[in-house]
Amino acid sequence: MLNLSIKTQNLSKRYNGADKYSLNKVNLNITKGDIYGVLGPNGAGKTTLISILCGIFSASDGNLIYYRDNLPVSFNNVQSIIGYVPQEYAFFQELSPLQNLEYFGAMYNLDKDEIKSNAIRILELLGLKKVASDRIITFSGGMKRRVNLAIGIIHNPAVLFLDEPTVGVDVQSKVAILRILRELNEKGTTIIYTSHHLSEAQNFCNSIALLDHGNVIVDGNLDELLSVYKTESLKELFIKFTGEDFRD
Amino acid sequence: MFKFWVAVKKEFSVLIFDKAGLAVMFAMPVLLVFIITIVQDSAFKIVNENRISMLVLNKDKGTESRKLIELMNDSGLFDLKNDSSLNAVSFEKTMMENDFLTGLYIESGFSENLISKANIISADMMEELGLDNSMQDSIVKSFELQFFHDPVLKENYCLSVINMINAFLKGIEGELLINTLCDQLSLEESPAKLKKAMIDNATPVKRVLATGSDNKVIPNSTQHNVPAWTIFAMFFMVVSLGNNIVKERLNGAFIRLKTMPTPFFLVLSSKMFIYLLAALSQIALVFSLAKITFPTLGLPALTMPENTLGFLMVSFVSSLAAVAYALLVGSFAKTQEQSYGFGAISIVIFAAIGGIWVPAFVMPDYIQFLSLLSPLNWCLQGFYVLFLKGGLWSDLIPVISGLLSFVCVCLLLVFVKLKKEKII
Repeated sequence: MLNLSIKTQNLSKRYNGADKYSLNKVNLNITKGDIYGVLGPNGAGKTTLISILCGIFSASDGNLIYYRDNLPVSFNNVQSIIGYVPQEYAFFQELSPLQNLEYFGAMYNLDKDEIKSNAIRILELLGLKKVASDRIITFSGGMKRRVNLAIGIIHNPAVLFLDEPTVGVDVQSKVAILRILRELNEKGTTIIYTSHHLSEAQNFCNSIALLDHGNVIVDGNLDELLSVYKTESLKELFIKFTGEDFRD
Repeated sequence: MFKFWVAVKKEFSVLIFDKAGLAVMFAMPVLLVFIITIVQDSAFKIVNENRISMLVLNKDKGTESRKLIELMNDSGLFDLKNDSSLNAVSFEKTMMENDFLTGLYIESGFSENLISKANIISADMMEELGLDNSMQDSIVKSFELQFFHDPVLKENYCLSVINMINAFLKGIEGELLINTLCDQLSLEESPAKLKKAMIDNATPVKRVLATGSDNKVIPNSTQHNVPAWTIFAMFFMVVSLGNNIVKERLNGAFIRLKTMPTPFFLVLSSKMFIYLLAALSQIALVFSLAKITFPTLGLPALTMPENTLGFLMVSFVSSLAAVAYALLVGSFAKTQEQSYGFGAISIVIFAAIGGIWVPAFVMPDYIQFLSLLSPLNWCLQGFYVLFLKGGLWSDLIPVISGLLSFVCVCLLLVFVKLKKEKII
């Protein structure tokens, strides 16, 4: 797997017409092999950060730098080895998982044979082989989440961004998704993910960044953070820094 | 190229899944073309080919009214039913009960009045010429023929029938005048010769189609309806393609594609390609059906234009215009319901002002001006040039240029909108 790391320097984002920054001078350092949790309450700027990191939006200020073997490279040079799994079912439900993987695989520059072999392997891993040719429109929420993930990993990405990949799924699907993600990480894929499930994040991530009101409040290795701030769980750490007030 | 064909394959799979969209795109134009053409053709035949059914009540005892009826009968234009048992009151009721579209009520004294009128004119002429006038002063009472008609008949149709009756009347009046003058001048020779000479000298009016070319295809319901309703259906792809765009915009598929090493142009062009093929297939299907099956249904067969290249060009740019408009609606609509509702209603309005239902030239001036804003009108003009006006390139080029400009404006707006949404 390629040695790819990401660094942000004072990364800021203000949407057109907004009077406040959604992201304010964010400095992060994500290295190869990390499982990096981007956490925070609603409206903290998690999705905005992920969207900038994977090239959907551009930042208003600051820098986003990708490093390949410790040398800075342009985003275009790494685009084909980045995977993105959005929160929505961002695929074509009229088609089958296989048809979706064929389409998105081609969009990731894979050739016909690579698409075929990767698709069969991934669908098997995610327990979707039997329904590979069925229309997704008939699938349950958990199956659709797994298809969403399958599309994001069809090209064996070096970095995988996931925006709440386990939201609204049953326990079985959640376990399957996290198992696959861990396997990918063990093979060298860097994972950056957002979630509201703090116990899941605590078990899954090795590093985190806690965001609130567009600012990074705290970031670093999860075990070290828990130790430094004398908290027993991520939930406790989260409440300690973000408070208990509603964020409506 | 592999990417493009995979994208095209995906668009095709999505399209064939949308059964309702396919029905709107293919079944609707076929049904519309058949139904509207059959309906309009029968209306066209009533006016142009069928004999005019007319109930006649002749209360006159003289010869001139009988001559008028004979002339109308002999013309072959009328299907007359004479019923002298009726009266002025029961006449209208009988007409309605027996579905007569027209009726002619001839009052008593009709012949007498015509003769009196001829005598007066003859006397005046003799006096003007300084000749002896042996005629006694005649008195002409005010009289009129009463033409009844069904309220559903159009004004121009009624006027045509009245003009025909007037023409027969003029003939009778002319003949009466000649006869009276001959009597006055004590001419022994029969006026038949004079009458014949007058008729033979009438200047004929020849009907010529102003097409600007040698192509003289007579316009009929097929030549209008087949292109018109095909264009309507082509633009109705806004329902399918518009929804497709909105769905993929809103479900995040477009955003997801933005993270991939693929230009969005490829995604958009694959959609345009497949829907362009669909629109061209609509033309091929409807035009073939019209050409092959219409004659078997007693409808006029579709006469294809001689300018084949022009036909292909107009078909292509019309399809492109339909695709571009659907992309525009799909890019700006915020929900699928909005895309469906606005898309469908806008096409109905464009069709109404664009001359799809009623030719634009019969509309008021301000609607005719508005029709220039309808892309359907431009497409229809293109097919009219090909099917009815000889298909001259000098007439086609402005239409094709107009449609291509429309396509460019639509695609530019699509680009701006998608750019604003950070999709491109």
